[in-house]
Amino acid sequence: MSEKGGKGGKSSLKSPVGNGDSSGKQKKGKKVQFDSEDSFEMHTQKSNGKADAPAAKGGKGDKTANGSKKSTGKGSTPVERRFDQELPPNSACLMDCEAADILQSIQDQMVILSQDPDIKLPVSFDTGLTYAKRGGSYAKPETVKKIFEPLKKHGVSECEICLIANICPESVDEVFAVVPALKPKMSKLRDPLRIALDELANLKEALANLKNSTT
Amino acid sequence: MFFHMVLERNMQLHPRHFGRDLRDKLVAKLMKDVEGTCSGHHGFIVAITGIESVGKGRIRDGTGFVVFPVKYQCVVFRPFKGEILEAVVTMVNKMGFFAEAGPVQIFVSNHLIPDDMEFQPGDIPNYTTSDGSVKIQKESEVRLKIIGTRVDATEIFCIGTIKDDFLGVISDPGANS
Repeated sequence: MSEKGGKGGKSSLKSPVGNGDSSGKQKKGKKVQFDSEDSFEMHTQKSNGKADAPAAKGGKGDKTANGSKKSTGKGSTPVERRFDQELPPNSACLMDCEAADILQSIQDQMVILSQDPDIKLPVSFDTGLTYAKRGGSYAKPETVKKIFEPLKKHGVSECEICLIANICPESVDEVFAVVPALKPKMSKLRDPLRIALDELANLKEALANLKNSTT
Repeated sequence: MFFHMVLERNMQLHPRHFGRDLRDKLVAKLMKDVEGTCSGHHGFIVAITGIESVGKGRIRDGTGFVVFPVKYQCVVFRPFKGEILEAVVTMVNKMGFFAEAGPVQIFVSNHLIPDDMEFQPGDIPNYTTSDGSVKIQKESEVRLKIIGTRVDATEIFCIGTIKDDFLGVISDPGANS
């Protein structure tokens, strides 16, 4: 996978610096109306001058080839609201590994209850469990929470921590790209994030080694 | 993203269910009515994890049914505008591609796919870069950003983009199998 840049190989979506063509291909924003309960208008992403780069396996592509990668300031949504402001009360974010634990325990109980034909799990349960268990991460939620605990005193919310943990970023810049709400605190968060990401990477490596040694 | 929340619902029960198993029947009916549903406010209710309280029942005039206010805990999946998540591509066509993240369907329009990726029709339709190094096809895993959501009666549908930093293909089909 590394050769495809999926996890930090090739550069991500942006063109190398100095690609003159990219600046000439600025797209004008288009309006798309979405008629729905929570209708919104959105402007398609304006090319910020680097969008024409080879769309390499950029899911976790690093930016090293591009040097200083600019943020998507021009193309970002006008207001980046914090997720927790939209949540109903009495609700708590769950990391995917937490959700996987909970749903797996429910499914295990279903094996016992499955003789009753009235008790069935909905399709969304199976898809939700599969999604939560994707990536095969075996890290315990408590361990991952402890790794990101120091970020809370810098004002990072639970929701943002869950989002970061779910994405498993490899660099600090990736965190700020994924959670733009943290950008105002960039200077304060850079070091704690770096430490947390290093610990997470070590944990995943240790778990992968453990899995390989037992198989 | 998954959330754990406490919701409340008024459950209506027919008198034939009254008896010593009343609570069990109420919980079973709650699970049958609620699990798998979705709403714009809460998202998909994936599973009920517990019952917090069952209030006093009130008899409905004229029908004999009794309404119980039930507070329950549940795991929900709700996508947010601006959220980054990983999805599996389910269909590719010239308008864009469809992907699924849990119970949620996401559509990424070709306008929101990087400009240097072209649609390639054929037996396995895909979007490929000019140098052929990156390909989006069915079963590919992609990281995308939600830019809009819409709720139907039974499902949530989202619009996403991969035309942004750190978005795009994560792995090819079968890479993780």
